[in-house]
Amino acid sequence: MKVASISSTAIDTKSKQDELEKGTSLWADAASRMKKKPVAVVSFWFVAFYLGLALLCALDLIFTSYSVVNNDIAYQAPTWAHWFGTDVFGRDVLARAAHGTVTSLTVGFFGAGIAMFIGTFFGAIGGYFGGKIDDLVVWLYTTVDTIPGILLVVSFSFVMGPSLKTVCLAIGLTAWVGHCRIIRGEYIKHRDQDYVQGAAALGAGHIRRIFLHILPNVFHLILINFSLGFVGAIKSEVILSFLGLGVEPGTPSWGVMINDAKQELFRGVWWGLAAATIFMFFLVLAVNLFNSELRDALDPKLKNK
Amino acid sequence: MSETILSVKNLAVDFKTDDGVVRAVKGVSFDIPKGKTVGLVGESGSGKSVSSLAVMGLIPNPPGEVTSGEILFDGQDLLKVSDAEMRRVRGNRISMIFQEPMTSLNPVFTVGNQICESLILHQGLDKRAAKQKAIELLDQVGIPNPSERVDSYPHEMSGGQRQRVMIAMAIACEPELLIADEPTTALDVTIQKQILELMADLQKKYGMSVLFITHDLGVIADIADDVVVMYRGDIVEKGNTEQIFQKPQHPYTKGLLACRPSLESNPQRLPMVSDFMTDEGEEIPNDIEATKGDKFVRSISEEENPIILQLKGVQKHFPLQKTLFGKVTKWVKAVDGVTLNVRKGRTLGLVGESGCGKTTLGRTVLRLIEPTGGQVIYDGKDITALDPNEMREMRKRMQIIFQDPYASLNPRMTVGAAIMEPMVIHNLGGSKAERVKMAGDLMERVGLSRMMLNRYPHEFSGGQRQRICIARALAVKPDFIICDESVSALDVSVQAQILNLLLDLQEEYGLTYIFISHDLAVVKFISDEVAVMYNGQVVEMNDAIGIYENPQHDYTKKLLSAIPKGIPKTMLQQ
Repeated sequence: MKVASISSTAIDTKSKQDELEKGTSLWADAASRMKKKPVAVVSFWFVAFYLGLALLCALDLIFTSYSVVNNDIAYQAPTWAHWFGTDVFGRDVLARAAHGTVTSLTVGFFGAGIAMFIGTFFGAIGGYFGGKIDDLVVWLYTTVDTIPGILLVVSFSFVMGPSLKTVCLAIGLTAWVGHCRIIRGEYIKHRDQDYVQGAAALGAGHIRRIFLHILPNVFHLILINFSLGFVGAIKSEVILSFLGLGVEPGTPSWGVMINDAKQELFRGVWWGLAAATIFMFFLVLAVNLFNSELRDALDPKLKNK
Repeated sequence: MSETILSVKNLAVDFKTDDGVVRAVKGVSFDIPKGKTVGLVGESGSGKSVSSLAVMGLIPNPPGEVTSGEILFDGQDLLKVSDAEMRRVRGNRISMIFQEPMTSLNPVFTVGNQICESLILHQGLDKRAAKQKAIELLDQVGIPNPSERVDSYPHEMSGGQRQRVMIAMAIACEPELLIADEPTTALDVTIQKQILELMADLQKKYGMSVLFITHDLGVIADIADDVVVMYRGDIVEKGNTEQIFQKPQHPYTKGLLACRPSLESNPQRLPMVSDFMTDEGEEIPNDIEATKGDKFVRSISEEENPIILQLKGVQKHFPLQKTLFGKVTKWVKAVDGVTLNVRKGRTLGLVGESGCGKTTLGRTVLRLIEPTGGQVIYDGKDITALDPNEMREMRKRMQIIFQDPYASLNPRMTVGAAIMEPMVIHNLGGSKAERVKMAGDLMERVGLSRMMLNRYPHEFSGGQRQRICIARALAVKPDFIICDESVSALDVSVQAQILNLLLDLQEEYGLTYIFISHDLAVVKFISDEVAVMYNGQVVEMNDAIGIYENPQHDYTKKLLSAIPKGIPKTMLQQ
């Protein structure tokens, strides 16, 4: 369409100033478009709220009573003192759910982070170099992919023993495959483009072309994939904890709370399950909505729509 | 005879963008007489395509909107009819041919199916009758073996054949008006000539009116009866083709006509639109005839222009088919034994049609693609034998400027960073401050402001981006530059500016160029010597004037005769 060329000529006619003009990068452009979308702004603040909550909990500034045992008030239904009631040891469920945010976000960041790092690295060198190196990368990820992911995660946890570190590693070392595939495809597409060829003609080496030229151009995909992986990792942690393979006993975790609910629901104790589910629901929803807005803002094809 | 089939009155189209409303077409009026061809000429952003889409009722809304005007087709205002009625007109009484034959056909249906579709829809033919008609149509547009080719898929046809199929689809319902939007721009000149002849034939046969949209004045002269010139959403001039070409009134038309390199003359510098008109649209008195008939030739002397680059039997073969054991059984010989000499401080033009191997040859010379045979000797050194470190040193001396200024700049880097990158790689300019200064100087040298260094590529127009690419190539102070179709993606008026800039820089820095292009007129203007490539081989080489005045090889002759002269037929007969 002609629309693109029209808007670019509109930019050309901007006034010339004496000082060095500031350019608008594609990132700044995307950010300014995000700011205009109410969904993006609201979901962003939701995510920010969770981050703040996790930080304050991690520093033990709020909900400090999460591990205070008081058997006298075990399984108390919600009251004004305990909004979500108490658990089997009389601990405040709301405080435990809030501290569960720390566990979830840690797993989300590190699990998805490790996966992104491995996936991007292998995808980049495989897609860029092609040939034997690519064959090796493809062999590696197809092999990892043939083993059911959850089985791998479970076996990791068995070998290394349950801990937060194990969960992060287990998720990170298995979740990189899909990401690697996408990044590899992008590198294959970009490596022959004129701007990369041009860099080669200027004498830029492979490292420079891979990391300084192509990487910034696929970074939006890494970002989108990271937020997708983030949600995936949080859910995986919950599942692992539900299976009893998650974090160390005693660490507050939504998965553990849901696992405990198995026995508790018989006795009419629903608040543990409710608190964990509500906390998880809003976090996953916010990250997903933010992710979808992010994708729209970063996709050059959807520009001017 | 002066009956009018389409009459556009005061048409205005707006587009809503992030930066506010842009008026793409600012109240234009023109008529298309019955049975005649009207050429709509303009550069990118002039509003010519938007006008034609408005006639078809195809302006995407949002963001576009027709804000005023009338489009009278056979007395009926197309802006007022219902969607259902418009659908009956579209493809039946008015049909359209698009620019890109590669993407305008649906790849999963046979061409027969696609031609039949409008026949069944608009003419109510049954399947068998429609197929019979499709075969007839394919025969009319000159597809050999139409009864077999009717079952072919688009990918089984060449670009020219696909455009013929598009034409067959467009004329299937014998429309009264055919809108052709740059129908030959994506095609080679020899194919372009055939398609233009075909369109003229069909027009005579069916008595159609044609609205022919193009940026190429040469094509317009060949085909149009009347010409409408658009500039920034306005019509600046309209009239009889002969009149426009002989006595253009508006300074923009004068500039546009003058800035095209032609085969007839060889001026030292190309006239530019800015020689005829200020940015505000005021006329600058200038004699359009001034440069016509010039035959400027630069001297070549052994002492001053020694041979700096020698290609000896350069080959690049790509494996096409392999056996199970990896033995190659079929090769594509993209470059097949090219031997050439390039003189220092001069320009070698490399012409040929798409697929002749000219781009592959250019990239092989710089070892962006490794050659499979032969030698590339630059200043006494065989480049193909250099190790990576020596090659990196060599890259300081040899540079390339690509065709597409949109693709050749990294969109995530400021142009300043892009220009300074080669300085960083090769350790030129001691400090960052010094590099910024050097980059600023380069920006000014290529005609841009140093204040723009922090901007990103998407904030520049195509011509400005090509200037940035040139500045970046100059950043390493090279002495040899390959220009690979460097002006093909640009408007003619911008093309003239860039060509003049390249000439100035050559003079100033003593640069040597290989100028690769499919456009013979451009190559003739900028080159001292010209090599013609065909099927991976150089079939003819001579000095720039000689090759055009005295072509030896059959292919060169064919190529030269296919170029639109840029002079209306009626004027040629006089």
